[in-house]
Amino acid sequence: MSVETATALPPSESTAAQTWRAFRRNPLGVAGGLVLVALALVAIAAPLLADYPSGSSDDVLVGPSAGHPLGTDDLGRDVFGQVVWGTRMSIAVGFAASVLAIIAGTAIGVAAAYFKRLDTALGVLVDLSLSLPVLPLMILIAALVGPSATTLIIVIAAFSWPEVARVVRSQAMTVMPQQFIAAANVIGGSNTWIIRKHVLPGVAPVVVVSVVMTTSRAVLSEAGLSFLGLGDPDNWSWGTILHNAQQSGSLTTAWWTTLFPSVAILLLVVSTTLLSVAYNDARNPKTR
Amino acid sequence: MRPVTARRAVRGLAAVLGAAALVVSAAACGAGGASGGKSATRIVIGTTADVVNYNPLVGNSRTDSWVTNLMYPKLMSMDMEGKRVPHLATSWEYAEGGTKARVKIRDDMKWTDGKPVSADDVVFTIDAVAKEKIGVVAGLISSYGSAKALSPTEVEFTLTKPDGTFLDNVGFWMAVVPAHVFGKAPSVAKFANDSDWVSAGPYKLTKVERGQRYVLDRVTPYPLAPDNTPNLEQVVFRVFGDVNTEVLALRNGEIDLVANALPPTLAKSVQNDNKLKTVEIPSLGWAHMQYNVQRAPLDKLEVRQALAAAVDYEAIRKSALQGAAVSSDSSVLTPTLKQWHDPSAQEYRHDVAKAKELLAKAGHADGLTLSMIYDQADPNIAKWAQLVRDGAKEAGIEIKLEGLERNTYVAKGSNRDFDIYAGSWAIMDNPPANLGLAFKCGGFINYANVCDPELDKLISQAQEQTDPQAAKDPIQRAARIISEQVYDNVLYVEKFTFAHGAKWTGFEQRPSELLSIVNPESLAKAKAN
Repeated sequence: MSVETATALPPSESTAAQTWRAFRRNPLGVAGGLVLVALALVAIAAPLLADYPSGSSDDVLVGPSAGHPLGTDDLGRDVFGQVVWGTRMSIAVGFAASVLAIIAGTAIGVAAAYFKRLDTALGVLVDLSLSLPVLPLMILIAALVGPSATTLIIVIAAFSWPEVARVVRSQAMTVMPQQFIAAANVIGGSNTWIIRKHVLPGVAPVVVVSVVMTTSRAVLSEAGLSFLGLGDPDNWSWGTILHNAQQSGSLTTAWWTTLFPSVAILLLVVSTTLLSVAYNDARNPKTR
Repeated sequence: MRPVTARRAVRGLAAVLGAAALVVSAAACGAGGASGGKSATRIVIGTTADVVNYNPLVGNSRTDSWVTNLMYPKLMSMDMEGKRVPHLATSWEYAEGGTKARVKIRDDMKWTDGKPVSADDVVFTIDAVAKEKIGVVAGLISSYGSAKALSPTEVEFTLTKPDGTFLDNVGFWMAVVPAHVFGKAPSVAKFANDSDWVSAGPYKLTKVERGQRYVLDRVTPYPLAPDNTPNLEQVVFRVFGDVNTEVLALRNGEIDLVANALPPTLAKSVQNDNKLKTVEIPSLGWAHMQYNVQRAPLDKLEVRQALAAAVDYEAIRKSALQGAAVSSDSSVLTPTLKQWHDPSAQEYRHDVAKAKELLAKAGHADGLTLSMIYDQADPNIAKWAQLVRDGAKEAGIEIKLEGLERNTYVAKGSNRDFDIYAGSWAIMDNPPANLGLAFKCGGFINYANVCDPELDKLISQAQEQTDPQAAKDPIQRAARIISEQVYDNVLYVEKFTFAHGAKWTGFEQRPSELLSIVNPESLAKAKAN
């Protein structure tokens, strides 16, 4: 019976195809996706696009010119190179933190929905974590542990999972009463198997949206912490470029040192927002 | 369906743009605020930190010093070359082969409650510092035995051994506090002194708004001011988020003076502004890297020499400091200290091939990895640390930068928990005393963990001389050992730039960022045209 029910469901390709068709009709979503792809390509191809900015030169704080399309900083280093290499670091930290947060958040969200006895305790844990003053705690931990990419990833992930857990739990709660879950229980499926085969696929769409949004927030957090001087000093990131500009006093005298990394951050945040909004609308039959 | 989607997307976009605009504007504006600087009877000074300690014997941040220097007198001030000049003390001398030191103090200085500043206050202060081992002064007066007031204006110190550095150290570094106020506290070191201040400077603290402002009112009579009266009725310190916002406030006329030295980039732009004036002040300290000589592989001389050879000193001065620094000749006796400087000192040569050769000789031909800690809030060090890292990489040494929050940095430095320590000393004006603290076995600020019997002997010899000329030879020999053994890699001596509104005149310049033009004599004489 359960096998018949499962096979009677529309094939997943069909849903995916419908979602993709609806998504393609949304120009802002497509543009967001393209910008993200472009940023990812910049991150991957950074060594081909610009030399790694290091050392110093005599061209200190030179505005945008043919030689330096985005100008130079207070040590005469190319801002274009910094933004390009910063893309790699910012996205890497953002993505890694997001993956950690998604794994933890999904595990806790699904566990809360699936194991009723854990729901209250995990709910309290999520509420408690959400009520913490995130930025001061991030600053405190990053300052105490010392700045590095690993620190940033762990700190950002540690404060990003509760939102994922809450969203995933809500979605999983709508999956749990479904008949196929009850049927899977009846035929003696183990908890792990049921979660893997039935619950996780049910929450996958919100997880996809969460990955994009959490990455975006993680990139912002990375930029914020780096701007405050808690970034990894051995790697360029967008926040580090802003931090250097602020610290050297060129914030108010050399606009190019702050504008271009800010634009990069803006592009990433806007494109992820547009992409996730468009995807959300495309997969929802009511807004498709 | 599609219009709804588009509207959502536009709403999302608008929200993100709005948030981004807020972030950008917040970053650009930083701390903001209050009015000031309009009246010629008041000077508004910008600073980037709050006062942490109102107890002048304990506080050691720049803002602490700027505020408490206006309230608590020191026996001596210093001229532009670091030589001691009278302040509360009028004269001083050593006696009995350097085991006694005598100081005469002014008879016309009074605490704000009307009681005279007397020899008893000096005796009380030094006894408290020695007994409770308070601050850096305690480390500088290891030879102190006892003190007694010979009269209300004469103090005699008895020393446990001849010490030619004692008077200079006590005279400049120790603020004198009122015995009748601080004496009531069970512990002088723990006395917060955060209200009802009784002071004896040209201005007294009257109002504190944490994170905002510190208001000090004029004190009369103040004998070191013209006609016993400081020119200004009020000195206000305003707290800003960072030096960028401070300079914006200075340009807008919200404040009259920036107490912090300007980063080189900002200094250049301020110099071109005809509404502002800049003042160049030499440093009495130096910027340096110390290698933890007790930690492998930095215990090997070749490794330290390789690190020194991998640094492009000229690039640091030219690019990171924008020319606002001079070479230290890789010596702890920097050219600023004319009476101590050794003309034979030479800067380490930047030679990457030599660095590689030395590294191979030390058994690290495949390169090595080290970490370097620094205070991430120090703009100059954060800049040159990157140049040092990039230079070392060429020589096969990977330096991992650890820009730390100040308290973590200080704790790691104190615990000697680092490979390389990048930092700067604000004032190292008295080599026999300072080198004792920085390089003798177990010295208070011996961050490199140096323990070299020959060096200790030479520094002790210099410290025992009451005549600076007699101390010169042993201290120069000690400095040569420090340079040869690379116990300290002194990078440069900074030239600080300070900025104030063009209408202001009368400032008295003193060396170092701690004194600059924000010192008691200067603010007692400053006036607006």
